[in-house]
Amino acid sequence: MTETPNYDDKFDAIVVGAGLAGSAAALTMAQKDLEVLVIERGNFPGAKNVFGGTMYTRRVRELTGEDFDDAPVERFVGEKQFSLLSETDETAISMRPGEWHEDHHNDTYTVLRGDFDEWFAEQAEEAGATVITQTTVTDLVRDEDGTIVGVETDRPDGSIRAPVVVLAEGGNSLISEAADLKETDARDEVAIGVKEVRKYGRETIQERFGLGEDDGAAYHYFGKGACGNAVGGGFIYTNKRTLAIGLAYTISDAIQDDRKPDEVLSDFKEHPAVAPLVKGGRVVEYSAKAIPEGGASAVPDLAHDGAVIVGDAASLVLNNGIHLEGTNMAVESGYLAGEAVAEAVEAGRTDADALQGYPDRLEDSYVLKNLENYDWFGDFAHGEKDFLFNVLPEVTAEAEKEFFRQDYEPKETHASRAKSMVIRAMGGWTGAAKKAWKYRKLLQ
Amino acid sequence: MSAQPKTPEIERPSIEDRLYANKYTDHEDSHLGVFEDDVCLDCEVYDCVSVCPANVWRNEGDEGDVPLIAYENCLECGSCRWACPYDNVIWENPPNGSGMTFRFG
Repeated sequence: MTETPNYDDKFDAIVVGAGLAGSAAALTMAQKDLEVLVIERGNFPGAKNVFGGTMYTRRVRELTGEDFDDAPVERFVGEKQFSLLSETDETAISMRPGEWHEDHHNDTYTVLRGDFDEWFAEQAEEAGATVITQTTVTDLVRDEDGTIVGVETDRPDGSIRAPVVVLAEGGNSLISEAADLKETDARDEVAIGVKEVRKYGRETIQERFGLGEDDGAAYHYFGKGACGNAVGGGFIYTNKRTLAIGLAYTISDAIQDDRKPDEVLSDFKEHPAVAPLVKGGRVVEYSAKAIPEGGASAVPDLAHDGAVIVGDAASLVLNNGIHLEGTNMAVESGYLAGEAVAEAVEAGRTDADALQGYPDRLEDSYVLKNLENYDWFGDFAHGEKDFLFNVLPEVTAEAEKEFFRQDYEPKETHASRAKSMVIRAMGGWTGAAKKAWKYRKLLQ
Repeated sequence: MSAQPKTPEIERPSIEDRLYANKYTDHEDSHLGVFEDDVCLDCEVYDCVSVCPANVWRNEGDEGDVPLIAYENCLECGSCRWACPYDNVIWENPPNGSGMTFRFG
């Protein structure tokens, strides 16, 4: 094994992890002429990274300029669908705005992280950053005052020093937790994601989902038919020649299910509304990921003496049921941290106060605004789990069957029966009024 | 009228079939473990086993055993760390690029 060259004092910043947050930070700092070292534990940037499948790329596009034309995206998302699944029924809302099919496509694409993250790390390299792979950071190095001054790696003599360490190690944030920079999240604040990537003919995917050559679809599923009695949901995203089929649901719920996550995934694929979309093909990858979903209250202190935390490691993931965002927030946090670190390095001070520009910027950005605005959602969803994921998909299907029923009763009778079904499911008029109050934030 | 349309048959791959599609590089020492055997011996819930999507954690032995750890199946999600109610899971990143390599992600 090659020894680590003597990098001491060569770098202004070390980035732990060449995922989207890490590469965004590295690119931003390199663009501001900082000397940056990125340390990636995988065989290549992206090799250890897993997500559902849709990326919101606006900041990436702005950071990479014309080079974004060469970004390895799969399909732009031209259609979204949200479905409620009971065990046998589906009720869906589908949207296909014309604007999504025009320039920039609302900056929404399906991507493969193996391709995309490697490309994004190359952008940082082209801007001047150094990226080393197959190297695992095992610990942080501190000076006698406790200031973080570098990292330990698994290379021989693998300790490397720099004024700032950017921790972009992902959701399984072993280094940050071991260094007491953040607490380990509770298991009802972390979701497990499992995903099967299946390969089909390109034509098969296009015909099945009604797509052209470049457009794609993002289908989201909620309810018992997706992942049982759990806060979470399922998804299907169309890539060029593959489908990403998966689930994400809270760990505390997953351990209550008799079925293991791989079985829940197989059951989801067998749902009558899902099976026709995913039949055939062959599995080309099986992956899993822990997703920090604790919301704003789970975000740790972001600036420390000599270090900042970005991306999933900082719990910057939004799940409010409809918006499922993480990779864009990872990029944004990396970008904002990169700017703040550059400022601090320039000023010659990298203690927590000097790095405060990062949390301040994040506070002013959509990232923390959204997390704070939806901080109630997690507790709400867990409190209303049975109604939202079990009762609601069921009663919706019952009511729509009644509403459209073909028999010899007048429509008025069907409509009135459908209405009473819904009212009864909500616990009568009093229950409905209580629900309306409880759900006011969701309805807003 | 035509017959009732049937839900198509769906492949239910085993863990092994699913993992077979993945690229994996072995590392000699397990990156997973438990801090205290006694904690597992007293454990009655085996939440590590319930949550694991790749059958890494197994309680195939007698009740009250320390789970077997098939670390070479590990997808590196880390869910077992949070699932264990006793914080008894040792979890380290596999060294020097070993472990799973996701090409699609």
